[in-house]
Amino acid sequence: MKTPVSAFYRNPVKFRMPTSENLVPIRLDIEIDGHRYKDAFTWNPSDPDSEVVVFAKRTVRDLKLPPPFVTQIAQSIQSQLAEFRSYDGQDMYAGEKIVPIKLDLRVNHTLVKDQFLWDLNNFDSDPEEFARTFCRDMGIEDPEVGPAIAFAIREQLYEIVVQSVVSARESRLSKKGRRGADFFPVSKGGAVAVDLVKLFGIKSSVVRKRKEWDVYEPIVDLLSNEEVDILEAKEERNFR
Amino acid sequence: MASSTPNITVEPPSSAIETPQPITSSDANLILVPSHSRWFSWDSIHECEIRNIPESSKNPRVYKYYRNSIVKFFRFNPNRKITFTDVRKIIVGDVGSIRRVFDFLEAWGLINYHPSSSLSKPLKWEDKDAKSDAASNSTESPSLVPANEAKRICSVCMDCFACDKNNRKLCARCFIRGNYRIGMSNTKFKRVEISEETKNEWTEEETLNLLEAITNFGDDWKRVSHQVVGRTDKECVARFLELPFGDQLKPPVDAEWESEIVGSGKSSKRMCLTPLNDAINPIMAQAAFLSALAGTEVAQAAAQAALTSLSIVYKSTRINYRSFPRNTLQQDASVASDGGNASDSIQGSLLRANLQLEKEESDVEKDIYEVIDVQMKNIQDKLINFEDLDVLMEKERQQLEQTKSLFFLDQLNLLFRKTSAPTTGEGNHVKSN
Repeated sequence: MKTPVSAFYRNPVKFRMPTSENLVPIRLDIEIDGHRYKDAFTWNPSDPDSEVVVFAKRTVRDLKLPPPFVTQIAQSIQSQLAEFRSYDGQDMYAGEKIVPIKLDLRVNHTLVKDQFLWDLNNFDSDPEEFARTFCRDMGIEDPEVGPAIAFAIREQLYEIVVQSVVSARESRLSKKGRRGADFFPVSKGGAVAVDLVKLFGIKSSVVRKRKEWDVYEPIVDLLSNEEVDILEAKEERNFR
Repeated sequence: MASSTPNITVEPPSSAIETPQPITSSDANLILVPSHSRWFSWDSIHECEIRNIPESSKNPRVYKYYRNSIVKFFRFNPNRKITFTDVRKIIVGDVGSIRRVFDFLEAWGLINYHPSSSLSKPLKWEDKDAKSDAASNSTESPSLVPANEAKRICSVCMDCFACDKNNRKLCARCFIRGNYRIGMSNTKFKRVEISEETKNEWTEEETLNLLEAITNFGDDWKRVSHQVVGRTDKECVARFLELPFGDQLKPPVDAEWESEIVGSGKSSKRMCLTPLNDAINPIMAQAAFLSALAGTEVAQAAAQAALTSLSIVYKSTRINYRSFPRNTLQQDASVASDGGNASDSIQGSLLRANLQLEKEESDVEKDIYEVIDVQMKNIQDKLINFEDLDVLMEKERQQLEQTKSLFFLDQLNLLFRKTSAPTTGEGNHVKSN
């Protein structure tokens, strides 16, 4: 029985991260007096604000950074949190959204390249669990890879969700009177919603075509020291 | 004074169940866990965790993952101190929760717990406090836990100072304010650095080390303390003075000691807060402190009396620390010569008793051998008997066979005669001839 596509559309939902835990990806890249501090981690926005300063002080103490970093770190975290909270209460369209998530990251000596589909409507999804399972299945020994993967997924999800809020806002402004359920927003940027009907209609199976297997297979590489140096130099150049 | 908070040693995390074992502090494979944290287990979540960390009840699986990863990471190399940043870089999760779990584990001594460092020995007074607190709200607040072990806490307002009288500790603020108990005064307090600690027990190794160092370096306490690992120069001096030495070992030291008491006694008395504690020469510091407590003349008299009694004790116990194990034979010989006959006779009778014992043992052995021999012979004779019987039997059987065959022959003959008898009567006659 072919279910009509419109049945999948839902009423707009309040903004939140489409994961079981509403966590925010925070990225830090601060340079003071020639000391460069780069970091990326996940934050729980329901933690009290005092936690930010505690974290900043702890990090500076543990990494033995010069003291001006404390305020900078705290400020950066606060501003990213504020941005996250500014979306609070706004609507985002859920729609039928299966989005591709791409992983392309290097952590110390491990290179990870992967691509997979993620269901934005699954509010029970868990990037952390995915990252843990990924590392376990792929036999990754470096324990720093897991958090990096979880962060990358969250970052992309965050971007997509923000896009949907923005476009929902725009559509509301520009097209008054239209019911939200009829509108199918196309998000700009990398994440194009996959047309489920085309992929998973009656005729095709859930199993991917063989020619696409290579595209969706995860690649984990261990780099040698020279390769790491080359890549780091490239990244530095890009940064500058 | 050994630490009165017992430690439980735990196997590295290969097994799910931990078995408490006797304390061996220098074994690299054992992990030490403070006794107030013995509830910890890899597979379950304890009440105090539920009370202190909201994550543990909201999401137990994830909490266990955080907790077990952190503890595993620490136990991978238990000699270093791990930081929160080290840990949050390797754990997948939000940093707020990780920090809470980390702080909880650190407060309860499940990570970053290094009991062998001198900072962790509490005073008896603190232990009583902590124990009574622990009894009343047993596993309640982890803020009490640091009082148990690492820091020296002022009994009044929880900061650090020291007084030797009654083992009370006051912080600088309370001291100035005069917040000590009635009956104690300014003079009875001694300033103690936070890094200084109560006396640990000196092991025999350390004592031997110390003595070697003293014979090598003499009065140079700095080098002595370098040689004796883990003891400051003051501790070395204190220990050295405690040892039962006579006049023989270090006469110059004793003379110095006495004169210093006299000399410093007066000066130290004037300064109530014993600034001489900071003196570079640790002997001076010790002497100053003690004489300040007791008064010059008393100190002098006490020192002399102590020395004489110590030398008596030394002689009577016949301990000579200068001798290394190889020289003990010599010492024993000299000792035996002026020891007297009592020990000889005891030795002699011991020897005789031993000899008798051995003799009896050998007698018993011999008897046992004889018994065995006899039995063996018995068995042999029986065997021979049986063999003979066998032979007889064989013979009889053969005879039986023979008679059987003869009998058979006779029967045959009879039959022939019977068959041939009716035909020829003469046959009988012939036969009967």
